[in-house]
Amino acid sequence: MPANPQGQVAVPDHKRWGADRGPVLKLGKYLAIAKINLHQAIVYRSNVLGGLLFYALFIFVFFSLWRAIYHGGEVQGYSLRQVVWYLCITELLVFGCRTPVFTQMNEDIKTGALAYQLIRPCHYVAYQFAGAVGRMVFNLVCFGILAVVLGMVMVGPLPDYALTKLPLGILSACLGLVINFFLLMCLGLTAFRLEENGAFYLVYQKLVFMLGMFIPLEFLPGWLQRIARWLPFPYVAWAPARLLVAFSWPLFWQILPLQVFWAAIAIGLSLLLYRQGMRGLQANGG
Amino acid sequence: MNMIEAYDLSKTYRTRVRGEGLAASARAMFRPVYREVLAVQSIDLVVPPGEIVAFIGPNGAGKSTTIKMMTGILRPNSGSIRVLGLDPVRERSNLSYHIGTVFGQKSQLWFHLPPTDSFTLLGRIYDVAPGVLKKRIAMLTERFELGALLDVPVRKMSLGQRIRCEVAASLLHEPEILFLDEPTIGLDVVVKQAIRELIRDLNQEKGTTIFLTSHDAGDVEHVCRRAIVIDHGRIVLDQPVKKLKYDYLNRKIIAVRFTEKHDLKTLPGIEVQKTGGLGSRLLVDTRIRPIGEVMSWLVGSGAVADITVEDPPMEEIIATIFSSQDEGGA
Repeated sequence: MPANPQGQVAVPDHKRWGADRGPVLKLGKYLAIAKINLHQAIVYRSNVLGGLLFYALFIFVFFSLWRAIYHGGEVQGYSLRQVVWYLCITELLVFGCRTPVFTQMNEDIKTGALAYQLIRPCHYVAYQFAGAVGRMVFNLVCFGILAVVLGMVMVGPLPDYALTKLPLGILSACLGLVINFFLLMCLGLTAFRLEENGAFYLVYQKLVFMLGMFIPLEFLPGWLQRIARWLPFPYVAWAPARLLVAFSWPLFWQILPLQVFWAAIAIGLSLLLYRQGMRGLQANGG
Repeated sequence: MNMIEAYDLSKTYRTRVRGEGLAASARAMFRPVYREVLAVQSIDLVVPPGEIVAFIGPNGAGKSTTIKMMTGILRPNSGSIRVLGLDPVRERSNLSYHIGTVFGQKSQLWFHLPPTDSFTLLGRIYDVAPGVLKKRIAMLTERFELGALLDVPVRKMSLGQRIRCEVAASLLHEPEILFLDEPTIGLDVVVKQAIRELIRDLNQEKGTTIFLTSHDAGDVEHVCRRAIVIDHGRIVLDQPVKKLKYDYLNRKIIAVRFTEKHDLKTLPGIEVQKTGGLGSRLLVDTRIRPIGEVMSWLVGSGAVADITVEDPPMEEIIATIFSSQDEGGA
């Protein structure tokens, strides 16, 4: 074989600009991917209008519902104000920041479009995540502003709110978004093996909806709460929303490690499913 | 060193067989039945640097499978393959820095954004230094005449404009090998010719090795120096395009329409394939009768309303190759 002793081609220096220069440049590559997605989202900003309208309507309907149910006081530690803000936040995280990752994975795998992504020097899973981050930044800003406006108009600010704890709540929200994204990616990646995997998506959506997005976990019966806390779903919406409306240090130290744990599991599982799927793809084609 | 070296390369797919009826489906849930499909059978392929190869064959012949093995997307079942001395599957990421790809049917540009944005992103993905990238973009813009297009969102471009941007995008990282899969599909004649010239020049100026698949005999004739024909996963012909041209690409199809009813007499080298009403379809052997001669003969025969000259479809050419191969083998 007429290659050099390492079995590699001699590469001209100007083409090795980033390949050998460590993780910082690698990160730069993915930042560029996030940036172009953000750019495209801004160019097509009118896309977001329908979502904003639906968001406002949804919040208003549930605000009316909670107002009718509450007669002053608290329910399971949540005041009316808190529960409305809670809803604004969970809807922001799950509905406002939704990404088409599941459908995208499904489509890429089933149509074989994945192959075209493989001939580029970047990791497919990381590429998808970077792209989602770019789009999410835009949606977070749009829906975030609307969430704050709606909360202020309907129930006003939370009394004695500790703004210093806000960054910790935001950290938890970011982890929630990561968990949600990678769990959806895992579900999408099952398309490597299964032809019909839409049911997973539906079940997942419903679980996230019932275990935290729609009502606080504390409103559920005790036995269901205990089961739910062992599952990843409440850590998508319930955990950050709870920390954002009623922060407490003990709860924070209870929630954060679990969020990190589930994020790690979801990321690890995505990478594993991807690698396995790739092996199958390389062996059997698209 | 050769750019591509493949010896005794084979690829078998396993596809799931679906039986008919409920019972078969239920059985398949527990014990799936597979069928083996031989996509590529023991092909040998050596491409030296600077070559322009046309890789042609009917649909399902194994073209895509072979390209996918060369780019590391598919793992061969047996045989050996080296592209630029690298093992494509094991060293896919490393190899990706050295190959460019254009798939006529699949865009690598961001649909809603101007091509500049896609160029910048691709430059980052391929780790091209910003200064170098700027120069590359400027050079490609000039060479591909993209100046007026740089700020236009891709979705507003014509197909021809888009393909020019696609080819430019695939060259940002100066690949040593360029894989082109049906690059001229759907383009009109003038644009096709422009793309072909660009590819030829690229090969002459930069020495880029080009591996092109196409259904268009014109692509093969005008761009490539060597043609490899594949069918049923086997290479059936591997020869210089000059020879292929002499043997097989010497026919043109002329569609002619007269303003009044007319009888065409056949001449040696001209076969009337179809005639009806005012129009006729002729198959011309240009070795016997050059196109110019046919034209003046047609014009002399009556008042011509319309004439088009086309290459016979690739399927027909391949069919001719096969029939002559069979004769040769018999």
